[in-house]
Amino acid sequence: MNPAQNTAGIYTADRKVLARNSLKDSFARYLTKSAAVLVLLLLGGVIFALIEGSLPAIKQYGFGFITTERWNPVTEIFGAKAPIYGTVVTSLIAMLIAVPVGIGIAVFITELCPRWLKQPISTAIELLAGIPSIIYGIWGLFILAPLLQRYIQPALIATFEGVPVLEGLFSGPPYGIGILTAGLILSIMVLPFITSITRDVFETVPPMLKESAYGLGCTTWEVVRHVVLPYTRTGVIGGMMLGLGRALGETMAVTFVIGNAHKIGSSLLAPGTTISASIANEFTEADGELYTSSLIALGLILFVITFIVLAAARLMLLRLDKKAGK
Amino acid sequence: MKDRSNIQLPSTAVPPDGGKHPRGMADLKEKISVRDLCFYYGESMALKHISLPIYEKTVTAFIGPSGCGKSTLLRTLNRMYDLYPKQRASGEVLLDGHNILAGGQDLNLLRARIGMVFQKPTPFPMSIYENIAFGIRLYEKISRAEMDERVEDALKRTALWDEVKDKLHSSGMSLSGGQQQRLCIARTIAVRPQVILLDEPTSALDPISTAKIEELIYQLKADYTIVIVTHNMQQAARVADFTAFMYLGELGEYGSTDQIFTKPKEKRTEDYITGRFG
Repeated sequence: MNPAQNTAGIYTADRKVLARNSLKDSFARYLTKSAAVLVLLLLGGVIFALIEGSLPAIKQYGFGFITTERWNPVTEIFGAKAPIYGTVVTSLIAMLIAVPVGIGIAVFITELCPRWLKQPISTAIELLAGIPSIIYGIWGLFILAPLLQRYIQPALIATFEGVPVLEGLFSGPPYGIGILTAGLILSIMVLPFITSITRDVFETVPPMLKESAYGLGCTTWEVVRHVVLPYTRTGVIGGMMLGLGRALGETMAVTFVIGNAHKIGSSLLAPGTTISASIANEFTEADGELYTSSLIALGLILFVITFIVLAAARLMLLRLDKKAGK
Repeated sequence: MKDRSNIQLPSTAVPPDGGKHPRGMADLKEKISVRDLCFYYGESMALKHISLPIYEKTVTAFIGPSGCGKSTLLRTLNRMYDLYPKQRASGEVLLDGHNILAGGQDLNLLRARIGMVFQKPTPFPMSIYENIAFGIRLYEKISRAEMDERVEDALKRTALWDEVKDKLHSSGMSLSGGQQQRLCIARTIAVRPQVILLDEPTSALDPISTAKIEELIYQLKADYTIVIVTHNMQQAARVADFTAFMYLGELGEYGSTDQIFTKPKEKRTEDYITGRFG
């Protein structure tokens, strides 16, 4: 065989390999691209279905749908104000409790915890995330609610009596179930998300950066406050938003303990409802187009609230970046 | 135990005049005395019976091959190792005659007195101004005007002022690597420490930034006691008055930089500085 033929052979072989590789490459490209497009299609489909389903309710009530408190299936007057209020307030209570506690646990695990205790705490947190929400619901209804009713709520009412604003928030009969109880259950449910994400991002802080702060004479608190938290704020806010997203949409556990009343009480101890709890409770009994449509409209509103929360988080991050001078 | 007869112990140390130091050798005062210092990472011994003096307002360099314990030695001087479990030291490190390894130390105060700069620039996630003001604010309550002055002063001393004076409120991370490292030095001197520890401060920098930092070290030693860890022997020769050669956790040789680099007493030191190993 002469050399020329030999090299020609190699080139042909090379070309074959190249062709095969470029085929694989484009196959992979289309596969991943279509996966990405699928997400957009699904999202679009969900939005479309929600809007289409809620059209009758929107036509009937218009903007008044979200400002009306009444929800009367018999007279077919539906308003979303109570569930919106319940959703927002329970989530707010959940975040008020879960964010400081979650960040506190994460700080303890990453900065202060003796090594032998680190793993047990982390595992316990992860297990907390694995408990099905129906279990939280049962526990909330049979254990937490009676406890609150007997001890905590009377104590709250007594403590805040005569204190302006707070007196109103903690007044009325202690039912046990209600907005506050739902918020408490939610805070326990979102705690593991916030904790594990903040812990993970805290661990991404370069040890040298922390050492520099300690090297200036910072205490652990100052290092966390001025170095660790600002360095990880994107991740921490992400964790908070994930927790908030879960709190807004959580259905089962809330349905068990919130009392399912379509009204807005001035007290946190009063029963209420959330968007998801209303939908879960009433979908089976919803007869008539308007009733069903109103429930779907509730779903659309939840979708919009979640979207607004995400947008607000983005905005907050942008402003923080600006403040830090990026 | 290893023969340490060649090591000048602090009590008897009469440093030979390298001729580099502006002041007479007679008025050299021991700022830090390391005495029989051993250091352990868990069970393994990383420093073995180190004794050496560090003189006030001079530059002392620790050189030696990787893993010889030079950074570890530096980290015992401000007890940075205390942040980690299972790291411990025995022996004495006297700062102005006071043993900092003894219990009951206020570590935060100690670290405010002994500043440290690291291998890589570590600007805090805040503005340039705040990077410097932050450390000052930890220990002093001063007015806005005074703070502005202190920040400006620190930035001027590190020759950074002209480069950043128009963007004091943009992020410290927006600076170049060399500028970031000078910012870290500015932040360290702004809290007015007595000793500055530099842990391979130029290892991540380009030659021009390195030259600027070395120039800075030369100026800073008028006011501060400086200890620098470096694996760049030319750098040690350029900036240091005294040099300690470390080898496998032991102090191989200590003396004035001129003596170490021109007439090393130990064969190993000579092999290392002439590049036969390392």
